[in-house]
Amino acid sequence: MKKIIKGGEVGRVLEAVNIGFTYGKRKIFEKISMSVGNGRIVAVVGPSGVGKSTLLRVLGGFLRPDEGKVLLMGKEVTRPTPKIMLIHQSIVTFPWMTALENVMLGLKYRKLPKELCKAIARQMLEMVGLEGFEDFYPKELSGGMRQRIAIARALAADPLVLLMDEPFAHLDELTAEALRRELYKILFNVNSTLKGVILVSHNLSEVVELSDVVYVLNGRPATIVAKVEIEMERPRNPRDQKFYYYIDVLNDTLLYKGEV
Amino acid sequence: MDLISIMILAALASTARVFTVIGLSILTGWGFGYISIKSKVFENVYVALNEVFESVPVIAFFPVVLILFVNRIGGFVGVELASDFLVFTAVVWNIWIGIYQAFKTVPIPMIEEIENLRYGFLDKLRYLYIPFSMPRIAANLIPSFSDAFFYIMVSEVFTIGSTSYSTFGIGSLIVKLVRLGMWNYVSYALLILGIIIGGSVYLLREFSTYAIARYSLESDIPVPRTRQIQRYVAKFYSPIIKPTKRIRYYFASKRTPARGRRGKGGYDYYSERETGQRILKVLGSAVALLILGIIIYSSFSLLTSITYAEWRYIFSNTLEIVYALAYDYARVAVIAVLSFLVALFVSYSIVNHRRIEALLMSIIQILAAYPAPAYFPILFAVTYGIVYRFSGALTTEFFVILLGFLSTFYYIFYNIWVGIKAIPKEIWELMDNLGMSYFQRIRYVVLPGTLPYTVTGLTSTINSAWGGLMIAEYWPNIVDGKSLEVSHGLMKLLDVWTYQGNLMLASWASFIFSLFVIVFSVVFTRNMMNLSKEKYVIEEGIYAT
Repeated sequence: MKKIIKGGEVGRVLEAVNIGFTYGKRKIFEKISMSVGNGRIVAVVGPSGVGKSTLLRVLGGFLRPDEGKVLLMGKEVTRPTPKIMLIHQSIVTFPWMTALENVMLGLKYRKLPKELCKAIARQMLEMVGLEGFEDFYPKELSGGMRQRIAIARALAADPLVLLMDEPFAHLDELTAEALRRELYKILFNVNSTLKGVILVSHNLSEVVELSDVVYVLNGRPATIVAKVEIEMERPRNPRDQKFYYYIDVLNDTLLYKGEV
Repeated sequence: MDLISIMILAALASTARVFTVIGLSILTGWGFGYISIKSKVFENVYVALNEVFESVPVIAFFPVVLILFVNRIGGFVGVELASDFLVFTAVVWNIWIGIYQAFKTVPIPMIEEIENLRYGFLDKLRYLYIPFSMPRIAANLIPSFSDAFFYIMVSEVFTIGSTSYSTFGIGSLIVKLVRLGMWNYVSYALLILGIIIGGSVYLLREFSTYAIARYSLESDIPVPRTRQIQRYVAKFYSPIIKPTKRIRYYFASKRTPARGRRGKGGYDYYSERETGQRILKVLGSAVALLILGIIIYSSFSLLTSITYAEWRYIFSNTLEIVYALAYDYARVAVIAVLSFLVALFVSYSIVNHRRIEALLMSIIQILAAYPAPAYFPILFAVTYGIVYRFSGALTTEFFVILLGFLSTFYYIFYNIWVGIKAIPKEIWELMDNLGMSYFQRIRYVVLPGTLPYTVTGLTSTINSAWGGLMIAEYWPNIVDGKSLEVSHGLMKLLDVWTYQGNLMLASWASFIFSLFVIVFSVVFTRNMMNLSKEKYVIEEGIYAT
């Protein structure tokens, strides 16, 4: 099945061209072509174990595809780069560093003067709503605040693309919802160099709330079985009729294979 | 019987000695571990003594062993027991504390299940506590085996005054062959020993894999590996540095409900109503008080038996002892830094190359179990000329440091390697993603992230370095009429005084040495350990509900 609700690209930032990946003897996915346009959030949904996180790691250059290639602004991605930052499902912060030091870690590769690094890190923390928490250690902060640190660190690296691997999976629903509401504003603000985001999730409400384009991954080996473009104004209201419509569309595409 | 057959028998005898001692440590560990979780008095005494003795290097027991077993018991049995006891002191503390920690961390639902079924003492041990302690025992087996073999080489043959004592084993046989200059046979003996050690390490590895696969809990809840039971000594002494902590401990203990206090007092909640358990509790307290009584009485008797003239004599030598100890601490510092640097960079380099890692770890495990004193004379003979040409007057120091390094490097290596392996994959990905350089990774992530492992490894390395120094600082006629002898060093003094039969000075030097080691352990090691556990647990960097 190849169900395309609506197509159309806006200036490709990151592009996967016909990529496939095999782990051991098992083909995880094949013939995947997708892209993220400028200023857009692209989501990848699919059942558990289908290979969403693996796809994300191939897109980030952590894993090399067996076939096809990944292009960042037209250049092939062959290894991890700060230009494509990954945000993990399990929130990663360094317990021996304060919030500020954690964010400063994202600036190391830029080899900037220390004072400038501090200033940028403070700005990033302010941007994610952690002003006043610069000297706190991660264990003194909640899960949601830790994820904000991880986002601030990723943004401090000046990335063009952010890869988010189920970033709200380990947060309680209230915290996750609050962060989701702010995410778009945080990511695409004037101080950010970010051009696009790829989000992996199996939470369909989250996907509809956040993304512009949704790729549905399914089957064994997995392929893209549908591409859905979400046309709704931001901020999106989960009680909106259109919101339900998109959830139903995504549900249908997943249920079609009988795996959800 | 031909010499080769004797060599095989001697190697088997030494191996049997090692396994017997390890077996005895495990058996007693189960018994004491169980009493510990039932009796708070016993637990406090047991854990505190374990802490103290664990930080005292094996060689500190040497004069005591000589007085107790060789002089008082004497004969073949006395020498055999002396040898076994030294090996026992090398392996027992890790095994005991490992079993105790395992018993203290048995999950509450499992205990409730076994209490529900009203299992007796033996069945509880058999079906719950012993299986639960298996992974910890397995983790300790190879290091204990290495330690035991190192000391078996030293303790199978020793000289006091004009008398030389020896027991049958590969250690004493190699010493004899070296003295007779039968180098061909020395190499055969080393080969046989190598085969037996290689086989033993293989079996121990197989057992470890089996034990971990069969007895480890499969749970989604991460096991708090580094937040183990807060040890008694650390708990007691750290408030001396920070007095407010003691007050906090007091109020925390008052606030904590009974179910939440399992880390401190075992499962009295369930057991107080049972007569059998109460008997065990009383018995544990009685044994603990008896041990304390014996220690106090023995110390008192010993102190009052020394005459005024003897006190003057030993005090007049104290400055020399402290001076020599300062020299040795400098050597230990060099060995520790060297071991740390090699361990850090080698572990970091191999950890992401699976094949190289598997091969190198197998080689290192066998080398670690291969007692350095057995092959060191050959290494010395082969390299002396080259080393002398480059090191000149520092040649002796070079070889002393080398033997110290060879006998102790493995402890910190294993720990740092495990520490680097424990770095979560998300953090490796993040380092790649941020394009961190080699030294940035080491400085910002690997060094702080492996600190708890490094402190543990460094402690073992420092403790074991003394054994290497004891052999290297005074080794007359090591090969071809050449001797290894430093000008200053406490280990040399201990060797010489023991050799001269001056056990009083040797014991006094050991006592002073032990005091320094304990103070060092309490002030430095424990505080470093606490700091690393409070702040540098890399697993806590991953937040996953």
